[in-house]
Amino acid sequence: MLTTSPYLRIRRPSPTAAEFTVSTLPPPTVPLRLSLYAIYLSQGLLSGLILLFLYATWAQSPYGPSPPPPPAPSSSATLSIQQRLLHAVLASPVGVLLATRATAALVVLPPRLAVPACLAALYALTRRLHVEESLLVLRGLGIQTSSSKDSLLAGRATTRFIPTEKILDVVINEAFRGFEVRYYLVVVVEGEPDVVVVFPRLLPRADVVERVWRGVRECLYERKVARLDGKAV
Amino acid sequence: MHPFSVLTLAIFVAGYITARWDLVTRLYELALFAWDNGVISRIALGCAFWSVTFLFLFIPVRHIALSEAELPRGVENALKTGILLRNARNPVARIFELCGQASMHVLGLTNATLGTLFDPSWVQAITHPAKSLPRVTCTKASSIQTILFDRPNPRRMQYISLNPIALSLSDKNQTSYGGSPEPEVEDEKQEQKNKRNANHLVEKIKQHSVIRHLPSSKDKALAKIVNQINWAWELEHLLQKNVSLIGPRPKRTLSVSERVVEHATTMRDTAVLWVWDMIIIYVFPVVRRAFIITLLAHRLIAEALLLVLEWRLRPTSPALKDISATAQQVEIRLLQFCYWPMQYVKLRLRKNDWDSVTTSHPDYIRFYNSLWLVANDVIIGIALGTYIIENAEWAADMINMLLDKYTITALQSSISWLMGWPAGLKLNSELALFLGDLFLWVIDYWSSCAQTLEPLLPQIIWFIGFSSFAGASMPIALLSDLLSALTLHIYSFYLASARIFHWQLTILLSLFQLFRGKKYNVLRNRVDSCDYDLDQLLVGTILFTLLFFLLPTVIVFYLNFALALGGIRFELRDTHNRHNFNSTSISSSSSFSLSPTSLIHLKVMQGAAVYRYRSVANMMQPVPLEFSAMFHQYFQMGNRLRKHYLSPGVLFCLVTGRFVPPIHRKNLYSLQYSMLPGRRAGIMEIWEALNSLPAKKPMGLHPYALATNAPMLNGRRQMNGRATRGLR
Repeated sequence: MLTTSPYLRIRRPSPTAAEFTVSTLPPPTVPLRLSLYAIYLSQGLLSGLILLFLYATWAQSPYGPSPPPPPAPSSSATLSIQQRLLHAVLASPVGVLLATRATAALVVLPPRLAVPACLAALYALTRRLHVEESLLVLRGLGIQTSSSKDSLLAGRATTRFIPTEKILDVVINEAFRGFEVRYYLVVVVEGEPDVVVVFPRLLPRADVVERVWRGVRECLYERKVARLDGKAV
Repeated sequence: MHPFSVLTLAIFVAGYITARWDLVTRLYELALFAWDNGVISRIALGCAFWSVTFLFLFIPVRHIALSEAELPRGVENALKTGILLRNARNPVARIFELCGQASMHVLGLTNATLGTLFDPSWVQAITHPAKSLPRVTCTKASSIQTILFDRPNPRRMQYISLNPIALSLSDKNQTSYGGSPEPEVEDEKQEQKNKRNANHLVEKIKQHSVIRHLPSSKDKALAKIVNQINWAWELEHLLQKNVSLIGPRPKRTLSVSERVVEHATTMRDTAVLWVWDMIIIYVFPVVRRAFIITLLAHRLIAEALLLVLEWRLRPTSPALKDISATAQQVEIRLLQFCYWPMQYVKLRLRKNDWDSVTTSHPDYIRFYNSLWLVANDVIIGIALGTYIIENAEWAADMINMLLDKYTITALQSSISWLMGWPAGLKLNSELALFLGDLFLWVIDYWSSCAQTLEPLLPQIIWFIGFSSFAGASMPIALLSDLLSALTLHIYSFYLASARIFHWQLTILLSLFQLFRGKKYNVLRNRVDSCDYDLDQLLVGTILFTLLFFLLPTVIVFYLNFALALGGIRFELRDTHNRHNFNSTSISSSSSFSLSPTSLIHLKVMQGAAVYRYRSVANMMQPVPLEFSAMFHQYFQMGNRLRKHYLSPGVLFCLVTGRFVPPIHRKNLYSLQYSMLPGRRAGIMEIWEALNSLPAKKPMGLHPYALATNAPMLNGRRQMNGRATRGLR
């Protein structure tokens, strides 16, 4: 329900620019939005809880800090905001509950198992739900491919801008992947040993790739492309 | 007014008129007289004439004068005549050469009121404090693409480029390095072959494009546009400085009192400037000459040392720097030292040009990067050195104990284990006894040598610690050399046993051919059948059997030493790598985390979702360097190591007892050499380059060194608001 098979969206803000986006995020509706917000919220909460659990584990381990002195009003002034916030969180019912949970859990599960499990959970929680890849064509300037990153922490997307002068050709290529044939769009860049694959993670279906190819040609070189009947134009 | 006072005033006026009635009648008579003689009509005529003149002459003239003075026309005229580019610090022609335009033009106005646009092709941009994107319109254009960018500040060495910075010197000739014909390394050959194959494929893919699109002038302009963006900051400052020259108003000279005030306020600056000028004129050349002479003396010493390090007995034999890690380290430092003056000269020449010329930025980064690297190395080295010097005794004890334990006692015990039928293997006891005794005797001799060295070890460690004031990589290199010197016996054992094993294997192979009645033909490089006599066959077979039965004993000894050597060598290699990583991780962190040298690609980000007009607004953003690209050279080094040691060739060498070639140091250290030129500059070259540097000019000669200080606020003239409006 949250993801669909990759589909194409074309946006043409002006006659000289076009953006082709392939994504697995379905068109936004109200229930979808609500559920997505709920998921993000729960992700944030869960990762916060896991981080707190990790902190509690560290604090109770022999490597942890020496037990803090009783919070006197004079000492609280010297603490930084983060430390005060952390103290406040740890003193709250949630923090106390977590600390007791942590002691209880650590009795059952030794920390050398619990910590990798927590890290794995954090890794899973920071992964992006959807993949979105796009190709932006600006006539007279160039092409920009962008592909969303796996992790939420790594930033939004990796992009690559290719000036028009450097573009030798934009072609559709085919390749075997396992037991299937995949068609993919490729930009041949002058003076580079590797070609640039557009939509490298999703590798959409042949008809989508063909539409994008047609659109890119039309936008970049200002001319219509004849039908693709088995052979190139 | 109070009604009571009004009443009082009225009573007073009425009383006055009745008292002076004759004055009123006189006035009335005068009016009648003037009307009769036509005075009134003449006055009316004059009034009418003046108002018509005012309407038809003065108002248009004033209007024209106003428009000339403040509107963009004035700016355009000023740009055409070059008034706005006056007082430039560097030649103005350079701007036009790099930006690809013959002159500057007014493209449009920002936030102009309607009706001030003279030219329909002018662009009008309207910014709004609430919106992040400006609204851009143009009456002539059918569609508009807007790309926003943060103006790069050349003073902070920010610039936009289409390609990432390449910090390694690309024009370097790999093979001519070191000045003598070095034997080509196998790995390098392989890499070059791969590169050739890739180039071949690239050529092929070029032939596959069906329709070749000739790039239009728009496409070709991108590089120039990028240059123009890079120039924007500096040009803006230059224009702002000359804004007061726009328009017909003559600049009023300062009055006497203003002059007095100005002199009084700038008195201290003038005095300081005068002292500074005297220093520059009289003291500076002496200091400079002395510095150049010391630099050249250092260079001479470096040249002599480098000659020693690179000296080879024969063209094919290894030089000192190939054998010892310390020599290599010294060589790298000396080469860096030889390169610094040249780099500095290059950077000084950069000062004579505009800041926006971006071609020399990689040099800047390379220069300060290597300085920073050496400084860090020295800082870490001082910490490490003091620690080592303080604990020299303990470290010497530890090293002695470890060496004794692993290179002598462990070896002795393993040899005696091999001598007494190890693991139930029934070896030839006579041969085992002979080999074992031989090796044990050499080990005994070596251990006595090591014992004479033992009291000297604290001094050596102290020396190593002391050497670390020349950088942390120096003690590590020295330690590595010391370790390889102290384990020399294992290396020689390995060589001896490998040689014996290899001989035996080759003899066995040829005897096996004889056993089969065949023979290896050297001339044809193949195996031919051969008719042996009976006695030949008999002796051959007996020898074959003998050698075959002796083989396991030799194999066992060979394996023992190969494994021991492997352990030691890997340990050495490990220290090497760590050392390499240690010094170069600093280099990468320094070259990429410094804010003025951040790398900027062109990245276009869509901002049009926010923006609902017909034009597209795109935001240009810097692309951070990928993590893998940052550590590309480490990956390359790792790959080379892996390729060299985990290859079937090495395994084959090990199995047949041939000598395993160690990886060439040049491959391992290519990371550090990549920042250095292939050929070091000669002494005369450095002398000439240093002398060619322009002498520092006294500040007083600069016409506007002062002008920038006093009357300008932030480099732009605040009071002239009219003219700035047109420019922004």
